[in-house]
Amino acid sequence: METKDQKKHRRKNSGPKAEKKKKRHLRDLQLGDEEDARKRNPKAFAVQSAVRMARSFHRTQDLKTKKHHIPVVDRTPLEPPPIVVVVMGPPKVGKSTLIQCLIRNFTRQKLTEIRGPVTIVSGKKRRLTIIECGCDINMMIDLAKVADLVLMLIDASFGFEMETFEFLNICQVHGFPKIMGVLTHLDSFKYNKQLKKTKKRLKHRFWTEVYPGAKLFYLSGMVHGEYQNQEIHNLGRFITVMKFRPLTWQTSHPYILADRMEDLTNPEDIRTNIKCDRKVSVYGYLRGGHLKNKSQIHIPGVGDFAVSDVSFLPDPCALPEQQKKRCLNEKEKLVYAPFSGVGGVLYDKDAVYVDLGGSHGFQESVRPTHELVQSLISTHSTIDAKMASSRVTLFSDSKPLVSEDIDNQGLWMPKEEKQVDLKTGRVRRKAIFGDEEDDSGDSDDEEDKEMSEGDRLENSSSDDETEEGEDAEMTGKQCMSGKGIKRQKLEMEEDVEVDLPAFADSDDDLERSSVEEATEEADESIEEEDSTAEEERDILESKVVREGGKPGLLQTDDLSDSLNLEKSLTMKKATLTTSDSGHCTAEEAFASEDESEENSLSTEEEDSENEEVIRKKFPNPSQVVSSQKLGSENLIDETSDIEDLLREEEDYKEENDYSTETSGALKWKEDLSRKAAEAFLRQQQTTPNLRKLIYGTVTEDNEEEDGDTKEELGGLFRVSQSASECKHKADSLDCSRFHVEVPHDWDLEEVMNSIRDCFVTGKWEEDKDAAKILAEDEELYGDFEDLETGDVHKGKSGPDTQVEDVEEEVKEEIDPNAEESAKKKHLDKKRKLKEMFDAEYDEGENTYFDDLKGEMQKQAQLNRAEFEDQDDEARVQYEGFRPGMYVRIEIENVPCEFVLNFDPHYPIILGGLGNSEGNVGYVQMRLKKHRWYKKILKSRDPVIFSVGWRRFQTIPLYYIEDHNGRQRLLKYTPQHMHCGATFWGPITPQGTGFLAVQSVSGIMADFRIAATGVVLDLDKSIKIVKKLKLTGFPYKIFKNTSFIKGMFNSALEVAKFEGAVIRTVSGIRGQIKKALRAPEGAFRATFEDKLLMSDIVFMRTWYPVSVPAFYNPVTSLLKPAGEKDTWSGMRTTGQLRLAHGIKLKASKDSLYKPVVRQKKHFNSLHIPKALQKALPFKSKPKTQAKAGKIPKDRLRPAVVREPHERKILALLDALSTVHSEKMKKAKEQRHLHNKEHFKVKQKEEEEKLKRQKDLRKKLYRIQGQKERRNQKSSLKGPEEQLK
Amino acid sequence: MATQAHSLSYAGCNFLRQRLVLSTLSGRPVKIRKIRARDDNPGLRDFEASFIRLLDKITNGSRIEINQTGTTLYYQPGLLYGGSVEHDCSILRSIGYYLESLLCLAPFMKHPLRIVLRGVTNDQVDPSVDVLKATALPLLKQFGIDGESFELKIVRRGMLPGGGGEVFFSCPVRKVLKPIQLTDPGKIKRIRGMAYSVRVSPQMANRIVDSARSILNKFIPDIYIYTDHMKGVNSGRSPGFGLWLVAETTNGTFLSAELVSNHQGQGAAVLPEDLGRNCAKLLLEEIHRGGCVDSTNQSLALLLMTLGQQDVSKVLLGPLSPYTIEFLRHLKSFFQIMFKIETKPCGEELKGGDKVLMTCVGIGFSNLSKTLK
Repeated sequence: METKDQKKHRRKNSGPKAEKKKKRHLRDLQLGDEEDARKRNPKAFAVQSAVRMARSFHRTQDLKTKKHHIPVVDRTPLEPPPIVVVVMGPPKVGKSTLIQCLIRNFTRQKLTEIRGPVTIVSGKKRRLTIIECGCDINMMIDLAKVADLVLMLIDASFGFEMETFEFLNICQVHGFPKIMGVLTHLDSFKYNKQLKKTKKRLKHRFWTEVYPGAKLFYLSGMVHGEYQNQEIHNLGRFITVMKFRPLTWQTSHPYILADRMEDLTNPEDIRTNIKCDRKVSVYGYLRGGHLKNKSQIHIPGVGDFAVSDVSFLPDPCALPEQQKKRCLNEKEKLVYAPFSGVGGVLYDKDAVYVDLGGSHGFQESVRPTHELVQSLISTHSTIDAKMASSRVTLFSDSKPLVSEDIDNQGLWMPKEEKQVDLKTGRVRRKAIFGDEEDDSGDSDDEEDKEMSEGDRLENSSSDDETEEGEDAEMTGKQCMSGKGIKRQKLEMEEDVEVDLPAFADSDDDLERSSVEEATEEADESIEEEDSTAEEERDILESKVVREGGKPGLLQTDDLSDSLNLEKSLTMKKATLTTSDSGHCTAEEAFASEDESEENSLSTEEEDSENEEVIRKKFPNPSQVVSSQKLGSENLIDETSDIEDLLREEEDYKEENDYSTETSGALKWKEDLSRKAAEAFLRQQQTTPNLRKLIYGTVTEDNEEEDGDTKEELGGLFRVSQSASECKHKADSLDCSRFHVEVPHDWDLEEVMNSIRDCFVTGKWEEDKDAAKILAEDEELYGDFEDLETGDVHKGKSGPDTQVEDVEEEVKEEIDPNAEESAKKKHLDKKRKLKEMFDAEYDEGENTYFDDLKGEMQKQAQLNRAEFEDQDDEARVQYEGFRPGMYVRIEIENVPCEFVLNFDPHYPIILGGLGNSEGNVGYVQMRLKKHRWYKKILKSRDPVIFSVGWRRFQTIPLYYIEDHNGRQRLLKYTPQHMHCGATFWGPITPQGTGFLAVQSVSGIMADFRIAATGVVLDLDKSIKIVKKLKLTGFPYKIFKNTSFIKGMFNSALEVAKFEGAVIRTVSGIRGQIKKALRAPEGAFRATFEDKLLMSDIVFMRTWYPVSVPAFYNPVTSLLKPAGEKDTWSGMRTTGQLRLAHGIKLKASKDSLYKPVVRQKKHFNSLHIPKALQKALPFKSKPKTQAKAGKIPKDRLRPAVVREPHERKILALLDALSTVHSEKMKKAKEQRHLHNKEHFKVKQKEEEEKLKRQKDLRKKLYRIQGQKERRNQKSSLKGPEEQLK
Repeated sequence: MATQAHSLSYAGCNFLRQRLVLSTLSGRPVKIRKIRARDDNPGLRDFEASFIRLLDKITNGSRIEINQTGTTLYYQPGLLYGGSVEHDCSILRSIGYYLESLLCLAPFMKHPLRIVLRGVTNDQVDPSVDVLKATALPLLKQFGIDGESFELKIVRRGMLPGGGGEVFFSCPVRKVLKPIQLTDPGKIKRIRGMAYSVRVSPQMANRIVDSARSILNKFIPDIYIYTDHMKGVNSGRSPGFGLWLVAETTNGTFLSAELVSNHQGQGAAVLPEDLGRNCAKLLLEEIHRGGCVDSTNQSLALLLMTLGQQDVSKVLLGPLSPYTIEFLRHLKSFFQIMFKIETKPCGEELKGGDKVLMTCVGIGFSNLSKTLK
């Protein structure tokens, strides 16, 4: 029974196994398998038709080229910033739920309330920033510009909503990021068939909008208010593996989607004026291009700002470091969302601490920590007041400390806080000791001393109150941080504490030394000392912080660590001294150059010196506050200004300089101090000096600077002296030629030899020397035979090589290096061979496209490699801040509403602007009204454009370009056609897409995007014209000449239009000739025909129109929370009229009136008698009078018959009818008869003809016989005849 | 508000060209104060005024404000327009003075620039038109500025003090520039040059050639120095003669030197033999300095590197000239760009003095004037 149930085995007909079997079968049969069919059966593959072959070749080539994109240099950074995922959809579609589910999927954490962007680590190499987008069009526009991926949520039970389509169109305009649809609310379908149908319908509609085959996800239903885990997991998987194509605008501009914002305004300023402009710092990942310090940015919804300071911070949501594992462990699954309040986020100047507080956080007493920190972060009163009121509990059971308890120390670090180590993702407690520790106490004292000293000095020197205050604050902060660090270090495990004193001691020693230095110098310099000491200390401390991190992490080998630390510190010291000495050489150079005044180079250097001096002299308050290493660097602009200020006095030696410089080329043997040149060269040999010479200070030699200033600056007097000395440069000759100051003596052999190798005749490098290369080749290929001559070339003569080989072997035995070199040689040989093979093999394949791609790849590699080995501090200087960095940006003069009305739900985007993108001008674009927008747009009606990063209201003019290039104004945009538009506004690069909306406030039922297009041209002037018709009237008409008045007002105007073409309404063309004396403005004109007095003459001209200079950024972010979608700008005249109830006053002439037509009366045609006579009869008017009335006398009376007569008449009628019938019949009969007769006749005729024919035949035969006979007889002769 | 952002301020008339050119390219307004404020003859000179006029001609919408004494200049740049322009340069400076700036600006116009400059073609202060033609044009070609219409033609030669020269310069427009990697200058394979003379005996040129060759022949045999004697209307208004030499390397680097005779009424007469010899020595000096770019064109190369795509560009230069150093500072203040400067000591090789390797990342400049069709 069982056997019956089994399926019969079916042999496989396809698939690899079947193929194999088939092959084996064929092989068994000894046939087939002879390579491919092409070889087996060449005839089948022969060219049948050349044309078809050409066509197919064309087609394949076309398909191939279609696939090509223009190659671009890959500029994606090694560690890319998180991908921006925008979750978009109409309200109540499940956006927040989806975000929550996604976050939970990736991080195993549940966020209850999501505000603003959430950054999570989604994989080993990918991070995501997820942000929700509501249906406020402002938000939609902003987010479409920064999105990398859009999750478009669609309520399947409802279908598509307007927002979805709007957002799609916005995306299309601004670069089209990846879009993925997500269908929700699928559980509301009861019947499966209906669900299927809906899915299909929505999918196809989605495809027409995005691209056929675009991914649409289905979230089938909710389980406990969340989407199903498996579905979310799949979605997450899709997101993590997705690839992105770079978008032009995004890659060419740096931008930041801020995930954190702080108000840094001085609380005192806010107290005095609550509406004062604010200073804020914004945090976020840098995306797109490189961001330069001091560059221009635009915050959509707020306005344009200059970056006042940028600094990069350690990544708060870093990618895991070791890549060995397949997936992330729990600790690496970070989440970072400061706006949503994920963890108690703390930040220092150079570190951001995230407290996850979730799965793996310690739940110990966090309270007291936060009290102070929170109060510090949200500063509402001045720091003094704050300090007075704040208290700190050092131990959980001790009494809280008040500020008086802490003697004059400024601030304490919070007692205990949780920190997440960014590298390992581990949370650890950071704890603090009291001041029982002697060492720290000592250092505190010292610091206090130093600080108070500094304060005193400052009090005496500086008049500026605020600066002092800030300085004090700074030092206070510094103290705090210093202490905090020390404390942090001290509080560790027990065994650590044993080691710690030494550790702290070393630290203190250094500090003390610096302090001592500072005090010594205090006598000499007044202000500078303070700052330098501080800077030094800062650097040291930051160093310590860095080092201090390690022991905390490892906790086991603290001893080695502390040793390390010491080592590093000493090293640091060494570098300090070395750099100082390096600088000293420069100093010497300066000194030597001072002697030779003519040397322009010396002036250069002095200048740079001066620059430094000045910088030290006027330390900018902001610099001090920021106390950043880069701080001084960032201020070059200001300092150069100051420097220029100081240079204002003219040095009259300049004249002499001029002459020497100009004639330098000729009088080049004049005595110029050789020493100066040498010094210059020596100075150039040290790179940092050359760099410093050019750019002033750089980060690396901050320490040098300090030393420098100590020596340079004795006091004010010397500064002013040096300032006056090096001033003559400002007004000297502007010439790019680099004159030879100290010429070499080119007659000397050694000097000549110094440039020998610059010529092809000189020695070549190893790898380029022809002889060498030849030798190498020989070595490679060895012997070869010249076939032509028959010579045999040997690589090396046999015995020699053998000997050498032996020698080499011997050498190898002795020297391991030789072996290595041999190996290397061998490898080289191999490589060379391979290269040659590659070159030979690939030659045919290389196309232009491949070359281009290769070039781009090479460039990309170079870009990556160039600055790789440098540390970030230096790298940032050259490249700017690179994308992927977590940066902090300070912005000043931000409107207070930005801070007061801050709403984290709204995205804050800092879009970097390119050069001159902050300027305004006329922007021309190609525009098309959106086909779904119901109205058309009117010229000079304000509309809101979204171009580049910006959203702004402006007044565009629409135009169309005529065939001759004239741009003619249009009153309205065409319905279904492109037209041009010009507005006055910010300059945006050509090729940038834009969209226009009429209003951003409220929710309209209809589609909101009014128009889309692309920027074509930027200019500072426009040439749009509109038609103008000037009319005039003839007042005197000669033959073809007329005098016309009323067109112009003066003879001058006429003169301007002499020769212009004019026309009458009836179409007679003419030309303006000359003005007439009277009446004013009249002129003589000639026409091609004579005018009538009733004619109107007009001239067609073009009048240039002007674009109103109106540019009004949409400041939607400044509106109060909850009203951010109510921004309204300038209203159109139509709206104003509606609002005020003003009716448009129509001109009387343009009103329509009922048309009244008069009845037309035509006279009869009258032809003269003479003419009538001459006409032919046909054309003659027929005078047949109508049957007019017959006069009564002629009227015949009606005949009334008698009955008898009637009978007779009836009888006659009947008889005649009978008769006619008879006749008819007879006729028919006759006809028939005739026909028959005719037939008979014809027959007879035929017969007759036949007979005649036969007869004739007979006759002719006889006749013929007769004739023949006759002929015969005639041949016989007369005898026979006679017979 | 987007307008009038962040203008820069400078004092003194030096580096006026740099400031105005960079201002035009970056779109940042610039204010220059105290122009020869303490001079007997304060304010802008004729040649500077002429330069400003030239800038006005090739731009659209520039705003230039000069105070009464001419000691303060405010320049708010417009967009570069280009087209066909004619300009009479002041004879206080040679055409090279104007041409250097035009070379910086010409690739970024709205319409390709076709300009006729009239004035002095060769003088002792500025790089002459010949040298710029021989060195700057190949340099621009490295950045992808090339084409049929890219030419610099000396129609008439004009010497000091009369002037009367005429130069035609046309340059195509580019949207973006290519990054360059010029780190190996190669070896000099030939030396070319031209000895020119106007309104003096044509024999002068031959004498110059002989003396110059006598020096250079010691290094390389491939030398050809043309002689150019312009006559009639093409010879300008004043007599004079001079020599320019250019050394071409295997990698397409051009190093140049030039020398011009003293003009009428200026100093002692110069013997053509001396001039030839001195010029040859100047060329050797230039070769000693070395690098991939001629010392006069350093700033041009650096500017075009700055204005490239967001890619790394490298160039090896000889010692930086003071003009270049100031130019680098200006680049920093206008474009926030800093160059990585590495000194390359010459070592044992006999290749002249130390070199400097300049590296930068372009700012991703794109030509905002060019119309999209």
